[in-house]
Amino acid sequence: MQKLTVLEQKIARHIQSDIPLVSRPFRNIADDCTLTEDEVLKITKKLLHNGAIRKFTAILQHQKAGYNKNALVVWSVPPEQIVGAGEKMAAYKFISHCYERNPAFQGKYNLFTMLHAQEENISTIVSKITLSLGITDYLILESIQEYKKTSPEYFT
Amino acid sequence: MIPFPSFCWSYESTITMDEIDKKILNVLQKEFPLTAQPFLIVSEKCGISEEEALHRIQKMKDEGIIRRIGAVFDGNKLGRVSTLCAARVPEVKLENFVKAVNANPGVTHNYLRNNEYNVWFTLVSENEQGIDSFLAELKAETGVSDILDMRAVRTFKINATFEV
Repeated sequence: MQKLTVLEQKIARHIQSDIPLVSRPFRNIADDCTLTEDEVLKITKKLLHNGAIRKFTAILQHQKAGYNKNALVVWSVPPEQIVGAGEKMAAYKFISHCYERNPAFQGKYNLFTMLHAQEENISTIVSKITLSLGITDYLILESIQEYKKTSPEYFT
Repeated sequence: MIPFPSFCWSYESTITMDEIDKKILNVLQKEFPLTAQPFLIVSEKCGISEEEALHRIQKMKDEGIIRRIGAVFDGNKLGRVSTLCAARVPEVKLENFVKAVNANPGVTHNYLRNNEYNVWFTLVSENEQGIDSFLAELKAETGVSDILDMRAVRTFKINATFEV
């Protein structure tokens, strides 16, 4: 486990949400933290390098960016095949998240995937996966309504 | 923390984006330049001025296509514990249950899904105990007793990048 320094936490508080949309956003952040722009950039890069920050990017609301079809698909995979199956799932572009979870859902659905599509139907994609990986027992859990979607705030 | 309405519905039809907007989105999702003038670099990659890039990004934020630009921290590396919960919630208890779940700032995703376990949410906490105590309180407060707590034991992929 990585413990952030007080200085790192100060910057983390600003960059965990939305950085200012201005020509020099890191200077604005630096001003708020009474640091220099260089220091903010240096520490941000360090956190990215050591893995505390997974990525520094734009986060989209994917439904509005054209990915209208989204589903949680859970698969029943024999334990001895789970690593192979998980790795193959991870290689698919249309899968954003893939985890093995314990306990399994309904006692058998142990591999969890988030699928996203623009044009193709989720069921078509699932059929392709089934054909290619030979996993035939699955559940498509479509979202009927979104109640909440936000980014975690680790630093307060 | 931005307050979220308890029943927000946002699956609107796609907003039209031109080729430059799409290019900007792809560049911004790939790697945000960690330099003094990041939007200048982005604009150069898209063949437009910095001013136009800022303007277009502002527009896409206003339209809700871009939720934010910033860092995605690795909760596991920071020692946080997370889980996916699925709850079997009767219709009459649904609104109250969703409100109670959403009130926890550690809940980042919450969806109604087509299953007898109809409410699915992700929960991040400082430690194990944070998850256990929240779920215990939630059960007591809402009268919903059937809540599954499914921990990720292996992570094969986390990469929510959407090429447009």
